[in-house]
Amino acid sequence: MNLTVFPLLVLMTAVGIVIAFPLFIILKIITRLETMRVIRILVWIYGRAWLTIIRPFTGLQKEGLGKNDFKPPCIIVPNHLSFFDTFFMGALPFTNICFAIRSWPFKMFWYRPFMLSARYLDVEKMTWEETFEACKKELQSGGALLFFPEAHRSRDGKLGRFHSGAFNVSVATGVPVIPLCITGTGDLYPPGRRYFKPAKIHLAALPAVDPAGFPGPEGHMNMRHFVKDIMAGKIERMKAE
Amino acid sequence: MRMTNDEIIRIINNALMKEFELDKEKMVPEALLHDNLELDSLDRVDMVIVLENSFKFKIREEKEIRDIRTLGDIHDFVIKKIREVERAS
Repeated sequence: MNLTVFPLLVLMTAVGIVIAFPLFIILKIITRLETMRVIRILVWIYGRAWLTIIRPFTGLQKEGLGKNDFKPPCIIVPNHLSFFDTFFMGALPFTNICFAIRSWPFKMFWYRPFMLSARYLDVEKMTWEETFEACKKELQSGGALLFFPEAHRSRDGKLGRFHSGAFNVSVATGVPVIPLCITGTGDLYPPGRRYFKPAKIHLAALPAVDPAGFPGPEGHMNMRHFVKDIMAGKIERMKAE
Repeated sequence: MRMTNDEIIRIINNALMKEFELDKEKMVPEALLHDNLELDSLDRVDMVIVLENSFKFKIREEKEIRDIRTLGDIHDFVIKKIREVERAS
């Protein structure tokens, strides 16, 4: 598996970088979308290519990720098990996704120009007020936000503590949260291991959670608890399958 | 009935452990909120709500909260606040 996936990943990335510019020009002319949106389409295509490469080794199972299951604006909150979780976001049913993530992925020089052009949010570098304003703008323009509420990859496969950011934004803007449960990526490529192992990957988007159900000053905290609970339950069921 | 300082500290620690899923071993007075307990600026807002709910007082407007750096600072702040409320009532 490693003799196949690693070379294909490098090849896919190298080819992607080479063809990104001409593809960008073509998409820009055809779609007339702003630069940031076109780059997000390219990133999504890259994710799709990754799904094609990894599919023979994972038996990828998708649930609730059809075109009509949910639409932006929304706030997607996946659990986090592996560096490659972001690659699997190519399975999402739309392209206009703004990742709100920590600083370290921005340090990978081959991805950085794309991440900056796609206006992804470096939540470690920005103040909360800056992040919140950027999130609001993103949702008002019809995009989707993606937060990993645990902030870190799980080291033991268990769902970690959820941070409040995504839920604060949801309650303040009235935009629903889409809980996205992931299993298997921690077996495929967990933190600390530098090689792949075949794994059964399952992505399941749960029904949208409406922030209107969480009023008051503690609304975001109650919503955070609720979302974590339903994700924990779903993940347990997915693992037991 | 007047709560002892130890009781107040126990309530604070239990409330924070529950809300932020903190390990009991980390709950030492010298623990830095950011570096040791990994509580960010948003967590501090939630922390205030948790403390207000635990002790039925309002502290979100208190300027001293901004100076809190350690768990021990929280203990001292809450104990001081409770004693003030007790004196006033």
